[in-house]
Amino acid sequence: MIINIYTLIMLFVAFLSLVLGGFLFYAVIRMLLGFKPTIPLETKSTYEQKGYLVFLTACVILSVRMLAWPWFYFMLQSFVPEVPGAMCMFGVTQILPFTVTFLQIIKPISFFIMGGWLLCYYVDKAVPTSPLLRRNLYFLLVACAILLIDSITDISYVLRMKPLMSVSCCATFFDVPLRPSAMIPLAIFGKHFQEILFVLYYLINIFLIVLLFVILSRKWLFFTAFTRKIILSGLTVAGVFNVPLVIYAFIENIVPRLMQLPYHHCIYCFMGKGVVPDAPIILGLFVIGTFAIGWAGILRMLCIQAETQSITEHLIKKINGLSIFCLLASLVMVTIHLLFT
Amino acid sequence: MKNKLWVGLVISIAVALIGVTYQKFLKSPHCAFDGSAVPPIYEVDIVLKDHSVKRFCSIYCAVQWFKKNNQRIDHVLVTDEIRGTKLDSYIAYFVESELITNETNKNRIHVFQQRQDALTHAEKFRGEITDDPFTLDD
Repeated sequence: MIINIYTLIMLFVAFLSLVLGGFLFYAVIRMLLGFKPTIPLETKSTYEQKGYLVFLTACVILSVRMLAWPWFYFMLQSFVPEVPGAMCMFGVTQILPFTVTFLQIIKPISFFIMGGWLLCYYVDKAVPTSPLLRRNLYFLLVACAILLIDSITDISYVLRMKPLMSVSCCATFFDVPLRPSAMIPLAIFGKHFQEILFVLYYLINIFLIVLLFVILSRKWLFFTAFTRKIILSGLTVAGVFNVPLVIYAFIENIVPRLMQLPYHHCIYCFMGKGVVPDAPIILGLFVIGTFAIGWAGILRMLCIQAETQSITEHLIKKINGLSIFCLLASLVMVTIHLLFT
Repeated sequence: MKNKLWVGLVISIAVALIGVTYQKFLKSPHCAFDGSAVPPIYEVDIVLKDHSVKRFCSIYCAVQWFKKNNQRIDHVLVTDEIRGTKLDSYIAYFVESELITNETNKNRIHVFQQRQDALTHAEKFRGEITDDPFTLDD
């Protein structure tokens, strides 16, 4: 185990989430098993207190757990000087590669699910009768399960991490002609894949921003239900398609240009080395902008009922506004770097 | 909401411009030979015997300065064009090819850490491997 401030905080948060997450999981199952649509007046106060404790714990622990995703990359960056041969976070990911890959996949998923739950809880809390309580409990169960898996893997990774082997430089993976980030787009788009990826990056992000503006506009109220469905489906499909597209466009085109290293495609060097000081902000804005589209979708699926409709719609508007801002800001920041660097 | 959006966008534009300024003017120093900005990928550092460092934008500028000041020099660090890592000029591979790194001085010498990268570049841009230009003639 490497001991530094990053690993100690990571371990503390992981142990805390494991204990509180375990309690939460148990409490939610108990609440679901004893769930009754109507509660006698004499037990109502106890029931409310218990529910309040469970949801308060959930809010705190899920919010803290969401921060563990960026913290994980701070921790990886702190390991770079400790691992022989590592020049950036990529080298660190070569030790316990399966665990690191698993963590890099589960952390965005848990961030998305937990963010979605917090928003659903906000809607439910805003209505005095809590009409979404049962749905929220089921959703919390899923969030707790992911939280527990994430915490256990974090603890296992931090405790087992020993920089005993020499690792290779990121260039041996990211800069070879047969790198996956080049081969997959090459197979899909052909020889000029880099130019096509670059154009698609702008087109799809602008398309998403325009669709979000349409949803926020006053005209949205005059659209038929069918037209709305088509626009929302288009938004979801474009949002999902945008994730791999942006990853490939960044690795193949944007990262080398922004770092002023035209042959170096390592996204870890871009994120963590400080070559482009605002790189984490650019990536963070893109992540929140994309996730916000998904969170609005979750709210539409789970929270639209007669009692909660106005609150949900108001919240969806706010989230769409956040998404517009994040996607637009990320796009503008990349453009400024491309123009002036 | 519109006002908040505009304020947010102005802030992100400012952050991006600060990032660009840092990258261009604060992080990259100016060439000790011709005063132009030093691109990180082509940076050459000449370490003097008094441990001070002179930075150059290209091999051409560094060689010109090196010829006139070789009594003061301790060692030379060059930058691998592929990874951006700095290495001692003794262990680097130099390729003179048709690809120009600096339009101002028409520098055609490229630096690589690995022989395979040097050969690939030489093949791609009709070049050939040359000697270390920072060796002192006895």
